[in-house]
Amino acid sequence: MKELLLTGNQAVAHAVRNSGVEVVSAYPITPSTPVVEEIAKMVERGEMNAKLILVESEHSAMSACIGASLGGVRAFTATSSHGLAYMHEMLHYAVNARTPVVMAVANRAIGPGWNIWADLSDSMSQRDVGWIQLYCESNQEIYDSIAMAYRVAEHEDVILPVMVCYDGFVLSHTSMPVKPDDLREFTGEYEPLWKVDFENPETHGNILPPDYFMELRYEICRSHAAALKIMERVEREFYETFSRRTPLIFESYRLDDADVAIVTAGAISSEAKIAVDSLREKGVRAGLLRIRCFRPLPSHRIVQALRDVERVYVFDRSVSVGSEGQIFQELRSAFYGFQSSPEICGYVVGLGGRDVTSEIFENAVTGRINSEWVMEVVV
Amino acid sequence: MFDCYDLFDEVQLFYVMKWEIRLHGRGGQGVVTASKIIAEAAFAEGYQSQSIPFFGAERRGSPVTAFTRISEHEIRERSQIYHPDYLLILDPLVMRTVDVFQGLKSGGGVVISSPSAIERDVFPNIELTVGLVDGVGVSIRNDLVVAGNPVVNIPAIGAFLRIFPEISIECVEKIVLEKFGNRSVRALYSSYDETEVFRIRGSREKKKEERKKPEKVWIPASKPAKGVAGITGYWRDFRPVIDYGRCTGCLNCWIHCPEGSISRKNGDVEIDYTFCKGCLVCLAVCPRKAISSEREVSA
Repeated sequence: MKELLLTGNQAVAHAVRNSGVEVVSAYPITPSTPVVEEIAKMVERGEMNAKLILVESEHSAMSACIGASLGGVRAFTATSSHGLAYMHEMLHYAVNARTPVVMAVANRAIGPGWNIWADLSDSMSQRDVGWIQLYCESNQEIYDSIAMAYRVAEHEDVILPVMVCYDGFVLSHTSMPVKPDDLREFTGEYEPLWKVDFENPETHGNILPPDYFMELRYEICRSHAAALKIMERVEREFYETFSRRTPLIFESYRLDDADVAIVTAGAISSEAKIAVDSLREKGVRAGLLRIRCFRPLPSHRIVQALRDVERVYVFDRSVSVGSEGQIFQELRSAFYGFQSSPEICGYVVGLGGRDVTSEIFENAVTGRINSEWVMEVVV
Repeated sequence: MFDCYDLFDEVQLFYVMKWEIRLHGRGGQGVVTASKIIAEAAFAEGYQSQSIPFFGAERRGSPVTAFTRISEHEIRERSQIYHPDYLLILDPLVMRTVDVFQGLKSGGGVVISSPSAIERDVFPNIELTVGLVDGVGVSIRNDLVVAGNPVVNIPAIGAFLRIFPEISIECVEKIVLEKFGNRSVRALYSSYDETEVFRIRGSREKKKEERKKPEKVWIPASKPAKGVAGITGYWRDFRPVIDYGRCTGCLNCWIHCPEGSISRKNGDVEIDYTFCKGCLVCLAVCPRKAISSEREVSA
């Protein structure tokens, strides 16, 4: 397959087409709009055999995807920022109704203080709704993640929706080489375990009294735990099929003998790798743990990977107001109760599209940044 | 005029096979497209490449920046470019509001699309290779005017190829032909031929870098003040001109001006050209057809 120079949004559209998605419903919002524009062109040209449902809001877009998924087809949508926030109610619905919808989220800040630029606050605000969340660092990874997301979402031990998150503009509008492999065989035909069937009528979204509701939620939590095992399998199978390692849970970069570790998610991780190489050249044994899957959080695996390092530097491109960066919070609680735990420091960087350069990571590790909020663009 | 002298011995050679290119222009000139075409051409030549647009006001005429990275190896950078090897300046007007030369490496290359020569004191005090071309002229001569605006990105790429030998013009030709057709290919070649290439060491006084002081932002509100968006007159491609012989002072233009750039002074209507963005709404709404438009003479 010939490599193409694609934007992150184009990579999503190509992957959606090549994964055999049958229903796409969406409402436009910067910076995810070009995903659906691209899909609309593909449908129009007859390259994609899907029904495109244009609706009046993101709330309806998600509702249409849930309906389509309950109808037994592969459904997809894309959104960002305010659009994702507006979907909030239906995000819960998609989880409890067990609809394996896949959604692309081009991460963007939420206003006012009107801002269209990269910030993970939109999807981080949805961390408790029950969606599986994947974060990407390159356009190839976005492409691969869409197909892998369907495999995980539709697995009988999971049956949960997945959002594939990638930094707005930094990835969504940046062109990079992408190998658009044929994904049809990898994703296969979608065979739903149940679907709306007019021959055998049943009620979906029915009342569930106190006697049953906890069991429903318990099973969802169990499915999240199971998802990690399924991800390992999908990771392996993806590599066997395409000879390309695309991690699903997390990526370790030069971590084996590291004294200090950087922990990030999203596009800034790629800059962090430059910092790791540069620090190693200067004699600092640095490594990177890049979180790919934030929900479910692979706590035990993270602790295993980081327990021998002395210091961990966590960089969040989002903040839980009133507390700290979300990854920082969760990393510290993952280490709770372990006897030997590294020192963990947290930084908030790159909100609302403020540029994040490799120098920021390097300066933090070498002790040249003494504020938890890195406001300056260090070049 | 130019103080050109042969600096061949002093010019640094780039041994690292990695180039960072920053593009400056104004909305509507095709800055983002130029960045992408260069990235695609480099990719077709076997390099890894990346094209990053930076979106700001997203309005025709406002300053736009884009970045292109070309490398023999995987490109891991995701940030903007602060120390470019090459600069493409699609419009000399941008230099008035943006410090386009900031961070440019010594020994680097600059493409400027300008109808007239650029004074030596405009360039920073480092060794540079410059490719100068009248992009607007090339565009007009090759019938490359879209919606009244001459497209200058293709001529700028033509000039760039003269100072960046890693990409062949044939390779760019293929991409341009597929995307924009024959006229653009002709513009590409005529720009390539017409570009004047010279070496120069500028004499610009080094500006003291102003460090932005941290500011408290309590609430997302801005006070109405003249010029908060900068000197927006530089965004203008067309200038509305009032024929006072026909103007009755009905103030219809004053009501409709979206920028508040029309005022009434001593009974006469007056346009403030410092801030008028040249949208020409006034021209459209004038009941006496007393307003006409003129092309801005750039730099």
